[in-house]
Amino acid sequence: MRAAAISPARFLPALFGLFCLFCAVAVVEGLLRAGLLNRFIVPLPTEVAGSFGRLFGEEHLLARFLTTVQETFYAMAILALIGVPVGTLLYQVPVLRKATETWISALASAPIVLMYPLFLVIFGRSAATIIVMGVIAGLPPLILKTIEGLSGTRQSLINVGRSFRLTRAQMLTKIMLPAALPTIFVGLRLGLIFALINIVGVEFLINFGGLGQLINDLAERYDMPGMYATIVFVILVSVLFFFVTERLERWLRRMA
Amino acid sequence: MASADGMKGRARAAGAGIGVMQVRIVLLVSLLAAWEIMARSGLLYRDVVPPLETIGWALVVLLSSQAFYWNLGVTIAEVLAALAIGGSVGFMTGVLLGGSRFFGRALEPYIYYLGPTPKIIFFPIMIMWFGVGPGSKIAMGAVSCFFPIALSAAASMRQIDTVLIRVGRSFRANGWQMAMKIYLPAMRPSVMNGIRLGLGIAIIGTLLAETKLSNRGIGYLIMQAYSIFDMPRMYALLITLFAFAIGANAIVGRFGGHTTGK
Amino acid sequence: MSQASGSGTPMSDRKHVLSADNVSKKFDTAEGPVVAVDNISFDVRPGEFLSVIGPSGCGKSTLFNIIGGLTPDHDGTVTVGNEVVRGPHPSIGMVFQEESTFPWRTVIDNVCFPLEIAHVPKAERLDKARHFINLVGLNGFENRHPSELSGGMRQRVAIARTLVSQPKILLMDEPFAALDEQTRLLLGDKVLQIQQELKQTTLLITHNITEAVQLSDRILVMTYRPGKLKRMVDIDLPRPRTSDVVSSPAFGAYVARIWGDLREEASRGMQDSERAR
Repeated sequence: MRAAAISPARFLPALFGLFCLFCAVAVVEGLLRAGLLNRFIVPLPTEVAGSFGRLFGEEHLLARFLTTVQETFYAMAILALIGVPVGTLLYQVPVLRKATETWISALASAPIVLMYPLFLVIFGRSAATIIVMGVIAGLPPLILKTIEGLSGTRQSLINVGRSFRLTRAQMLTKIMLPAALPTIFVGLRLGLIFALINIVGVEFLINFGGLGQLINDLAERYDMPGMYATIVFVILVSVLFFFVTERLERWLRRMA
Repeated sequence: MASADGMKGRARAAGAGIGVMQVRIVLLVSLLAAWEIMARSGLLYRDVVPPLETIGWALVVLLSSQAFYWNLGVTIAEVLAALAIGGSVGFMTGVLLGGSRFFGRALEPYIYYLGPTPKIIFFPIMIMWFGVGPGSKIAMGAVSCFFPIALSAAASMRQIDTVLIRVGRSFRANGWQMAMKIYLPAMRPSVMNGIRLGLGIAIIGTLLAETKLSNRGIGYLIMQAYSIFDMPRMYALLITLFAFAIGANAIVGRFGGHTTGK
Repeated sequence: MSQASGSGTPMSDRKHVLSADNVSKKFDTAEGPVVAVDNISFDVRPGEFLSVIGPSGCGKSTLFNIIGGLTPDHDGTVTVGNEVVRGPHPSIGMVFQEESTFPWRTVIDNVCFPLEIAHVPKAERLDKARHFINLVGLNGFENRHPSELSGGMRQRVAIARTLVSQPKILLMDEPFAALDEQTRLLLGDKVLQIQQELKQTTLLITHNITEAVQLSDRILVMTYRPGKLKRMVDIDLPRPRTSDVVSSPAFGAYVARIWGDLREEASRGMQDSERAR
């Protein structure tokens, strides 16, 4: 009886949220059908939902998605290959860290994505431009979190390493890096989120590659339902990505 | 010899030996030197890495042209409008979500999960709704900064020390007095932080939109420089843009820092 | 023991500034309903210092919030003069257990707060605030922020802030709980001095026996869950008092007697919290 009394209280807000979302969509549909909203600006929600089949068939939504995934994957590999070693180096050399840490956090909040025309000149309209923009966006948080993770290693673990007379390299690979792994993962996740935002954004801006380009294409062809549907798809993908990596992060933290 | 010594005992020498400032200067100088060597060597495509002197001149030319200031004014006005709209809507949303457990649980997940999605893809919609002029750029900036500001306002609403609210009630403050004398001052530091985040994101949103489709503003100037491959001018524009972003950040930061200090 | 039977009749109310009549409060928790305050009645006489003492978790703070008008749905009534307390009452000034100064206001602005709320003109506000800052011994610190003060000083700011509204009853919930023992004794002196100077009727909630005996005219001892009135103890120590009173034999006798009452309650409370672990 107690459980029955608690569970509606827990699910009610979530249900109410879904209800609000549903109502908002229904209101838009109603306004459109009543002619109070312009159908050339906002397509019918039902039409948007209906256009997914066409998108997967004619517009190769899945292939576009995989292109974006592939770009993100390369960006992630490069991110990890640069970010973790640089973070480790900065941790190992305190002067260097003190000198550059504020610079890196300044970069993290600077509008670096606006440098994309620069890379457009260097690499042209290509996947390289997109991947580089993703990497640049993701590096600062990964480097900062790597430093944070390594400096947060428990002193008792370090003492254990000392007692076994580990060399500096062994200390790093056997003790510090494993201990820092959850924090490094947080950095990688943050970096990947920034990278994904920039990758889809730059795809859209330079009209090349995966999902971003599709949105641009559909907008230029004035395919309103298709464009809205693709935007919804991108949002769903990002939310799913964000959600899954968040769960993974929590799981990793519990392991540590 | 000092450097050879430093190489071996870097970690130990860290505190006393080499100063942070010296390292910074060495890093900056070697960065600029590497740039200059790259520029003079001609290894990269012509003009992609122009000599520092050329960039410097381009900066001088840019800063002495009236058109630049006009476009800068357009961009600043757009960013401020975006921040005002997105910020006030975001703040009110955040207050509602933070003030009510029910609304917070029901609707905050949407904002939380929508926050880290690429906002620029909404630009075609914004063009449909608000036209190709400044309206759609303002809308982009506003949509971008809505999320961080709403989330930080909600969080700061929840962080308010409940005893301060009880103090206010015990002195029988009315709703307006509670809002002005307790809630707002208590929320100020973290809301200011949210506004700082939001400002940075509003700058990105507005300028990205300008680079995609516009005929005025700094973003437009960057794309114009790109289209005629005037790299020195592009570097000059990017430098001024970063200076603008850092300056704006510092101004908001100053407003936020005054609450508890001397 | 010393309840006024007719708190409803205005005649007898003249003798009491505040009366609590059969006050009870239940909470619904995950482990079922808990009776925090069970049928408590007492009166506060004008000018007296009354302490409510009980073990942690006996519902003292709940009682504090009920009297202060911050807990709406309780049973029984609290009356001030002839008025039933339904929400914060202007005659009651509260001092909270937690850190409650506004970190964004200077000392003088903190103390001015209740006067601002009451729309007192600025010049008068500052005059009054200065007076009460002097009273709690913080002159010279008017323009500091709370972050620059010690915990004891901050609590004095909070007391001055409440006194400035000139309440008929000063209601304090373990105001010295977060402080160390020496500061606590010295602050007790300050409170005694202020109380004697202002003839301030005071109701203090505490779990500290020496503090209660040092300061009070009467002490109300509460039981642990449900929080009932166990005993009312009159403290016949001479006034004016200072913290020196702590070393007198009479003081020790009172402490021992109240500890005798409290011991059983406190050990029940300890068992409860150990079981919960």
